[in-house]
Amino acid sequence: MRLSGFISSLNRSSASSKVTPLLFAFILLSTISVPNLNAQDTEAGAKIFKTTCATCHTIGDGRLTGPDLKDVHKRVPSEEWMVPWIRNSSAVIKSGDAYANKIFEENNGTIMTANALSDEDIWSVIEYIKVESAKAPEVAEGPVENPYTQGNVHPVDNSESNGLMTVIAVLFILLFIMASVKLSLKKINAELREGEEPAEKSVVDGFLQWMSAHKRWVALCVLISIAIVSRAAWFGLLYVNVTQGYEPEQPIWFSHQIHAGKNGINCVYCHSGAEKGKTAGIPSANVCMNCHKAIKKGTFTGEEEIPKIYAALDYDPEKDEYGDNPKPIKWVRIHNLPDLAYFNHSQHVVVGKIECQECHGPVEEMHVMRQESMLTMGWCIDCHRNTEVKMEGNDYYTEMHKNLMEKHPGEKITVDKMGGIDCARCHY
Amino acid sequence: MPKTKKYWKSTEELEHGELFVQQQEKEFAEKLPVDQFLGDESLIDSSTSRRDFLKFLGFSVGAATLAACEGPVHKAVPYLNKPVEITPGEANWYASTYVDGRDYCSVLVKTREGRPIHVEGNVLSLVTKGAVNARVQGSVLPLYDSGRLKGPLSGGEETSWSKVDGDIGSRLEGIRSNGGTVRVLSSSLASSSTKAAIQAFLNSFSATEDVQAEEGGSSVDARHVVYDAVSTYGIRKAHELSFGKAVVPSYHFEIAKAIVSVGADFLANWVSPIESSHQYGKARKAGKGMAKHIQFEANLSLTGSNADTRIPIKPSQEGAVLANIYNEVAKLIGRPPIPAAQVSGEMIGSISDAASHLLKNMGKAIIIAGSNNPDHQVIVNGINDMIGSYGKTIDMDSPNLTLQSDDAAVAELISDMNAGKVDALILYNVNPAYSLPNAEQFKSGLAKVGVSVSLAGTLDESATLVNHVCPDHHYLESWNDANPKPGHYSLGQPTVKPLYKTRQAQDSLLKWAGASGSYEEFIKKYWEENVFSKQSATLTFTAFWNQSLHDGVAAVSVGPNADEEVAADVATEPVSLASALMTAAQAVQKGGAEGADWELVLYEKTGIGDGSHANNPWLQELPDPVSKVCWDNYLTMNPTEMKDRGFNTVLGQVQEADLVDLTANGVTISIPVYPQYGQAKGTLGLALGYGRTAAGKTGNAIGQNAYQLCSFKDHLNYQASDVSISGSVGKYQIATTQTHHTMMGRDPVRATTLEEYISDPKSGNPEVTIASMDHKKKKAHELNLWQDFDKPGHHWGMSIDLNACIGCGACVVSCGSENNVSVVGKKEVGNSREMQWIRIDRYYSSDTDKHGAYDLQEIPSAAENLEVSFQPIMCQHCNHAPCETVCPVAATTHSNDGLNQMVYNRCVGTKFCLNNCPYKVRRFNWFSYQNDTKFADVNPAQDDRGRMVLNPDVVVRSRGVMEKCSMCIQRIQSGKLVAKREGRKIKDGEFQTACASACPTHAITFGDKNDPRSVVSRNQADPRSYFLLEELNVQPTVNYMTKVRNKDVG
Repeated sequence: MRLSGFISSLNRSSASSKVTPLLFAFILLSTISVPNLNAQDTEAGAKIFKTTCATCHTIGDGRLTGPDLKDVHKRVPSEEWMVPWIRNSSAVIKSGDAYANKIFEENNGTIMTANALSDEDIWSVIEYIKVESAKAPEVAEGPVENPYTQGNVHPVDNSESNGLMTVIAVLFILLFIMASVKLSLKKINAELREGEEPAEKSVVDGFLQWMSAHKRWVALCVLISIAIVSRAAWFGLLYVNVTQGYEPEQPIWFSHQIHAGKNGINCVYCHSGAEKGKTAGIPSANVCMNCHKAIKKGTFTGEEEIPKIYAALDYDPEKDEYGDNPKPIKWVRIHNLPDLAYFNHSQHVVVGKIECQECHGPVEEMHVMRQESMLTMGWCIDCHRNTEVKMEGNDYYTEMHKNLMEKHPGEKITVDKMGGIDCARCHY
Repeated sequence: MPKTKKYWKSTEELEHGELFVQQQEKEFAEKLPVDQFLGDESLIDSSTSRRDFLKFLGFSVGAATLAACEGPVHKAVPYLNKPVEITPGEANWYASTYVDGRDYCSVLVKTREGRPIHVEGNVLSLVTKGAVNARVQGSVLPLYDSGRLKGPLSGGEETSWSKVDGDIGSRLEGIRSNGGTVRVLSSSLASSSTKAAIQAFLNSFSATEDVQAEEGGSSVDARHVVYDAVSTYGIRKAHELSFGKAVVPSYHFEIAKAIVSVGADFLANWVSPIESSHQYGKARKAGKGMAKHIQFEANLSLTGSNADTRIPIKPSQEGAVLANIYNEVAKLIGRPPIPAAQVSGEMIGSISDAASHLLKNMGKAIIIAGSNNPDHQVIVNGINDMIGSYGKTIDMDSPNLTLQSDDAAVAELISDMNAGKVDALILYNVNPAYSLPNAEQFKSGLAKVGVSVSLAGTLDESATLVNHVCPDHHYLESWNDANPKPGHYSLGQPTVKPLYKTRQAQDSLLKWAGASGSYEEFIKKYWEENVFSKQSATLTFTAFWNQSLHDGVAAVSVGPNADEEVAADVATEPVSLASALMTAAQAVQKGGAEGADWELVLYEKTGIGDGSHANNPWLQELPDPVSKVCWDNYLTMNPTEMKDRGFNTVLGQVQEADLVDLTANGVTISIPVYPQYGQAKGTLGLALGYGRTAAGKTGNAIGQNAYQLCSFKDHLNYQASDVSISGSVGKYQIATTQTHHTMMGRDPVRATTLEEYISDPKSGNPEVTIASMDHKKKKAHELNLWQDFDKPGHHWGMSIDLNACIGCGACVVSCGSENNVSVVGKKEVGNSREMQWIRIDRYYSSDTDKHGAYDLQEIPSAAENLEVSFQPIMCQHCNHAPCETVCPVAATTHSNDGLNQMVYNRCVGTKFCLNNCPYKVRRFNWFSYQNDTKFADVNPAQDDRGRMVLNPDVVVRSRGVMEKCSMCIQRIQSGKLVAKREGRKIKDGEFQTACASACPTHAITFGDKNDPRSVVSRNQADPRSYFLLEELNVQPTVNYMTKVRNKDVG
């Protein structure tokens, strides 16, 4: 998801907002800069660009595997020339086209994958590129400080107990000050009344004296303290091993901000399991190599981090050869559900049509990946109670929808009405 | 007074053992060790004081709290190069083939992240049609046996493949140049490519033979000998004698209207049990045309339990019974009789009844015999010939190619070995040192063999004695194929990389033959030349191969010369059935002398089979379908005769079985005696496959080896007529599940006869009514104390047809494999703590005119004239579940699609639910079976390898929690998800529970009760449908269907 899209997604107050953030962004853009453009075309173009082109190209964000496409329509011989080129570049090269061969050589003989797009599709992509180029973002590519600061390496509880303890401590201090003030006042009072120096008493003695005189108050205070401490302990224990905000240091400094944010790579391009099954999956190193065979230098990290992928695969970038001593990359797992809970990504992503960001937060802004949500059962249940099931167009739900509408006329059909909070949906 | 049926489960129940009644009234059958713990004197002398105890307590609580505060760091290690077909978390299914020399089954293998975890039947197979048995279901577990050989051995020492190949190669080369005798001793091979590979190995000797013959050198005699521990030689030999074709024919029970079996347990073990079970299920559909099944046998077998009429006979009478049936049929159609021994008067009635059934259904009848005696089988062939079975119910032109044992050749091999004539012997998938009656002769002969090689995957009894062991892959690591019948082929493909440094047996043979290329290439070439060429539908071999590999099976047309393997066995001399019959009948008449004292019949259990599965804990813990005993073999005896001899017939935790000394074939073994109703008087039964000494940590030293009691003259004989037993020489504890989880004398099974069923489909299935508040009788389900659960989407349910259930136990093993059900071992089974989620209750019944729950002992002839019913019972998922209302922590609740759900992590183990369950289907984890070292030998999940078989979608339950059937909720959830993702409705039968998919006769069906067209809905509307203990009004979701018995008289 691109940055502009992300901003609108942040502004979304409810999950039911179905306006594609991108659409929103581009409608806005098109009305400003290219008033004669069909919004439908750019939307389609944006979609195709994201799924087909964005893994190798950016528009104005620098070179990836392929060249930056900013103002490409001004560079090429003609816009019409681009159509066969985008569809099947190697055919154009073979036809002996001079410009085609020139860029082929400029790109070290890397061939752009052929695809089965229609003319209409390609034109919408070209329109999209034009619109994006017109945005003319001036990226300040100056030296940026490595934002990969020391993360939250170990999973920690961010329980409420600390806050409560502070409150209790403050209360005690307040109590102590009040007692002292009272004692001082008493002293002054005695001085005024009797005009003589009272026997020197320490604060502690005075406090003890006060305590023995006000046993009921003391008992009440003790009871209240016990109640507060028990409550704090109870909630503290409830949040044991709730690791919201956990952002451990990873073996490779991988930035989602660069990949998903800046380069706009679709989440499921790498986490392809999210649409197919239970786990979204950490991409295997061969997926990294789709781009990093060509991109050998990182924006922030130079030549430190990307070669770690090569090392894992035992790949020699100079010779373009794989060795026989690969070593798997041991990432630190951030989102840990207990074994007793079954969670399936495809149920939520494909069937429930939920955006990744709803649970994982603004990943495209995160240099260091962190656990955004609590991942507690209460958090799951809350969502299941409030989320309306997206049943339109899914024949699986037809019968069920009819029955539920009879039973709950006029209400929105949430996940829990379909048994979404039954124990054995997740625990078996 | 009308007769009613009385059901009982065991001698204990029938004979009103006081212990039994006491036990049934207790909450838990087992004694809780409270007294033992409290009365522990040593505690008083303990040096741990109260203060110490509190210190330890404080420290451990503190430590535990600290440890709990910080979660561990989990690593996630993705693939470096992810295979395209794998999505972590999703299962892949591959078609493969299970062949072990006994069973042939086309299977689908479920793999998760590259490791097979479950096996199911392949419905595309035209032979097995998706059916499986318990052994096939359990076959995935031995893959992860940590006791498997991890590489080749030479002289008992670990060695490398290159070294062992060098050693064997040089020996074989020596034979090639100097001449000699080479033998490959294997089990029956269903794989045509394997046979070709063995032939290639043998031909590598004859190639040099020609050269040497020219040079005048000595020649090499290389041959393949087929030996099966449980042999079908008799059938092959008889067909050779009768028709000139040495084949085991294909049997078609599905079209039979009359089935007569003389001692053949065709539903469990005989010839092709998987195929037969499926066919039997079809033949026994309730309604007009339901087959009549008559069984003559000594032991109460699984097949006999399913028979409509069962006549107990002694094994020595088998020949006489067959000859008399022959004469009876011959008399009716006017053919000359054969010599036959006299049988008793009452037997004559049964025989003529059987004969008239066979004749009445001419062309749709079949008679089979279990005996391995060719003479018996010749008479069977004679009868089948008269009743027109050949070409109809018995197919000789498309015979069963999976069985080729040749007892005569085995006998010759052993004498050759002892004479020192064998220079090289290769053992493949056989274990003669264990399974031969004359194992000692084999062992002494083996010592004289020049070089002996075993290809066994584990160090079994025979492999310990040979020079070199070259361990074979497990079948799930191997390429293989099978040719169960002419024109039917199936492929086996590896579903996991080899776990150890083993090598496929065929690869070893090809390597020693000097052939280049792998066995995989060899199979491909074989298929291209022999299978692809016989079909015309697919144009290129690659497409044909890929399709076959995908489907697992390929059916091709059988041309005139296609069955060359069958044709090869045709005898050159003309044969006459009539003359063969006369010879056989005379031999039978002469040999059929009754034993002096006792007669012994050796049989196989459905789980353990011939003993090659002895190390499989899933199969060891599968109770025998009839006796319900697991983890043992024992002598079955008629309870009446046991009482006459003073043996204990009331077995339980406290009472032990009597041990006796059994002498047969000159061998004496000590074995417990077990009361078995239906056992023919004067006979004893004993299971083969036990008493292994080198099976592995689970299978060693369980029971006694019964093979040594067989005799081996011309053929392997699994009966002994000269047997004696001593009086009680000791006591022995047997673990049986038959007295567990009883229903307190209520009426769980409903049955009717075919005649009554045709006139009234609701016969035997009376409406259950209960009195309502206004003193009116109402149907149970019309009364409702609670508000019903809302089921807007699905209402999952199951339907169990008692008429189709044959009691085989495939569902029990399948359930255990799918749901990670713990194996608990013999001792805990004895304590009624088995964990199986589905059990098959076996009830005996007989007619009585007496009423009342506990007056069974007053039925005088109950034990003599009994019927058997099987009833699979799992959680009934009651809509008014009694368990749900008593759980103090809401760990068991009801779901919106009609399931009774069990949440392990909520459970605190009060066991109230178990106590309140009328069906006794809840299981409590008394121990941590995966960690407690007490179970190290029995529970496969105790080591790293064994844990790999666990289904990752199902939680492994810990100690102190309750568990039960979940109706395979993980399958339901994933099936629903697939439909949702594809945006379509769920198709009925699209996904199944593990038990339903394993059932060879489709007795168990699963589906959505909210879908009126589903099979389950239709079954529940059937007049035969009833709910178990309906009067309790717990409103189960699972329904049962009345058993129908064909009591027609011929």
